[in-house]
Amino acid sequence: MIGFIVRRLLATVPVMVVIGLFVFLLLHLAPGDPAAIIAGDNATPDSILAIRHQLGLDQSILVQFLRWSGRVLQGDLGISIFSQTPVITLIGQRIGPTVSLTLTTAVFSVSIAICIGVLAGWQAGGVLDRIVMAFAALGFSVPVFVVGYGLIYLFAIYLRWLPVQGYVSLERGLWPWFQHLILPSLALGLAYVALIARITRTAMLDVLSEDYIRTATAKGVAATPMLLHHALRNAAVPIVTVIGLGVALLIGGVVITETVFNIPGIGRLVVDAINQRDYPIVQGIILVFSGVYVLINLAVDISYLVLDPRIRS
Amino acid sequence: MEISRRKVVQSAIATGTLAAAGAPAIGRAQSAPPANRTIRAVMQGDLRSFDPIWTTANVTAYHGAMIYDMLFSIDAEFKPQPQMVDTWTVSDDKLTYTFVLRDGLAWHDGTKVTANDCVASIKRWSARDGGGQALMARTKSITAKDDKTFVIALNSPFGLVIDVLAKPSTPVCFMMPLKDAETDPNQQITGRTGSGPFIFNVAETKPGNRYVYDRNPHYVPRKEPASGMAGGKVVKVDRVIYENLADDQTALAALQTGEIDFFEVIPIDFLPQVKDDPDITVEILNKTGNVGFLGMNNLHSPFDKLQARQAMLYLVNQTDFLKASFGDSKYYRTCNSYFGCGTDMENDANTGWFKAAPDKAMAKKLFMESGYDGRPVVILQPSNFAFMNNAATILGQELTDIGVKVDLATSDWGGVITRRAVQAPVDKGGWDIFTTFSSGYTVANPVGYIGDATNGKNAWFGWPTDALNEKLRDEWATAPTLADRKTVARKIQENAWNVVPHAFLGQWVAPVAHRSNVKGWLAVPEVIPFWNVSKT
Repeated sequence: MIGFIVRRLLATVPVMVVIGLFVFLLLHLAPGDPAAIIAGDNATPDSILAIRHQLGLDQSILVQFLRWSGRVLQGDLGISIFSQTPVITLIGQRIGPTVSLTLTTAVFSVSIAICIGVLAGWQAGGVLDRIVMAFAALGFSVPVFVVGYGLIYLFAIYLRWLPVQGYVSLERGLWPWFQHLILPSLALGLAYVALIARITRTAMLDVLSEDYIRTATAKGVAATPMLLHHALRNAAVPIVTVIGLGVALLIGGVVITETVFNIPGIGRLVVDAINQRDYPIVQGIILVFSGVYVLINLAVDISYLVLDPRIRS
Repeated sequence: MEISRRKVVQSAIATGTLAAAGAPAIGRAQSAPPANRTIRAVMQGDLRSFDPIWTTANVTAYHGAMIYDMLFSIDAEFKPQPQMVDTWTVSDDKLTYTFVLRDGLAWHDGTKVTANDCVASIKRWSARDGGGQALMARTKSITAKDDKTFVIALNSPFGLVIDVLAKPSTPVCFMMPLKDAETDPNQQITGRTGSGPFIFNVAETKPGNRYVYDRNPHYVPRKEPASGMAGGKVVKVDRVIYENLADDQTALAALQTGEIDFFEVIPIDFLPQVKDDPDITVEILNKTGNVGFLGMNNLHSPFDKLQARQAMLYLVNQTDFLKASFGDSKYYRTCNSYFGCGTDMENDANTGWFKAAPDKAMAKKLFMESGYDGRPVVILQPSNFAFMNNAATILGQELTDIGVKVDLATSDWGGVITRRAVQAPVDKGGWDIFTTFSSGYTVANPVGYIGDATNGKNAWFGWPTDALNEKLRDEWATAPTLADRKTVARKIQENAWNVVPHAFLGQWVAPVAHRSNVKGWLAVPEVIPFWNVSKT
């Protein structure tokens, strides 16, 4: 297994190089000049040129790329053009809210989705199954910001139970932290619940029609152990795959959710940076996110080995 | 005793929870001011840069007004009044201005504000500001005479010395400590130390999320009552927080629930939702509002021809543009004055010939007479700014109506202002038309407003050329009295509507919304002051 992990880790190196090159070129070839944005609407053309020179943006793309990639190889993601803050520091400041939101959403979504997916698969064609499928269709169809506004109106404005927006760090208390994450996690998790529930149901349907399940049932195994020990474990590979892939969905959703609920996470940071053409931030975050995504895929692959002995052999 | 994995996890969670919920919360309770001494405000955008000279972004000027002070400031009547200056004199020949700083001025680190700080600050500011450049073009020297006195010696009289030092439009002439003031104007300062009524709280600030300003306990306000940006800057709360809340709908919800106290740019279409809410007050702080601007590329065909530019004055129906973005006519007005309406310089010189606008037949006739070759006219359209986005769409339709082909070049604002700087023809990456807006207060100042320059490729985007306008701007700058300036303003407008360097799309005011228990807002163009504001 260690050989497998090492091979997979080495394979991520060329992936990251291609991503770095692609991101750099995409940003620098796209229209937009940070110097013009910095200078503001009332700036003269001379001011813009002076700022561009000061930032080194008047140098060739090749020179800029070599400088940037050289720094990245030393672990330096650069400095924000606007705030003059190291990108690593900015990511450090913003990673907490994003990780909090992603984790609470993932925990909430996976636990709900697997439960209702298993039940829907077990009761396929029944009322519960239809309700779950209808909910899944709704979860896929309604955009996250619409869900977010609806939740804000109901729970924050009308009932006054929860705050509209903002983030409180965990060090200021568990409840304030959790209280500010409930609505965003619900909004962000809806599509994720729908996705995992559907896959779980489908996987369960496949497994529940297998001979060994019929045998177990004939031998008098109760429903709960049969579903959890015999069926769910054998249906786990596609479910784990979707959970892993769903992280990409979560990352995409985080951008919108963080904006709607004013959570100062990585999503907000990258959107603001794109609008401002703050190249070092965008490049740094995409590199980091790409790395995270590659590692998640690696973890999913490793989980196959754990869950399914046939793959191990 | 057997220790199970579950017990370990439970213990860890319990310990972490208690630790997390305990100590820091006590620290916070001790350090954070109470809610009734804290104002949470959602401003027009994120504060990305802290140097109000380096960038002309308005929100950075807001930051500047919090932590820095000014030598002079305008009052509610837009008249300049001394602020950091105690007394000042001007020689009989109008060439020597002597300024004495008032007592009690100190930087946030406790050191005294000196005349040397002010001299360096004026020099840095003037390198980036149109009015400052006009001042420096006539300046022989700026020198500190002693710790509290400095002198501006001019080569020729300049009637706007005090006005440009006092103007609130960006870049504002804020006083900075010598170390920051000596920074290259094209490089961002790293200091956050001013001498203003608020101190920037770096520790509590989370860039991109919230910017925290604490009351400066050592600030000595002037004795006069607050008026506009002038008078005593008496701070009546302990803390002001700029919350960077990007979503307008969420900001409105936060205002409704009292999570924020102030919402600067509430969209007009949200106003019906709050009009019956007694906890929320809507008011207009910037009385002269904004003026929509239609920039034409004077360097290339078709707008290098006078007839094509004149055609735009016949074509533009200001009401269409205003209605599309602001809906309620209570908040907008059409305006043909070159200096905006409701300003000191407003006049009606030479507006009669296009008062009949929209006159599409006349617009078409003139456009075709300009030698229009059928090439699509490129309109820059920033999709992330509602007014400019709508304006580009309407203008495109109006041009199409008179037989002009249109190419809407849609991108975000970052893309627009990059392409806008290209002086080459359209086939080499240039453009024909862009839209933007500026404050009415700024538009009324032909020297300070960069858009009024007509010195060709050195002018603002659109690069119009007109020697007479430049001569008249200079005449306006040296006019000794307000009445004289008004006379010159008529001449400028008379000439401007003959050469049409640009056109306007109407004027509007933008209301702010705040919790009704927050009172004392000062009506000022371009800046939102937080001194004089109290919360009950």
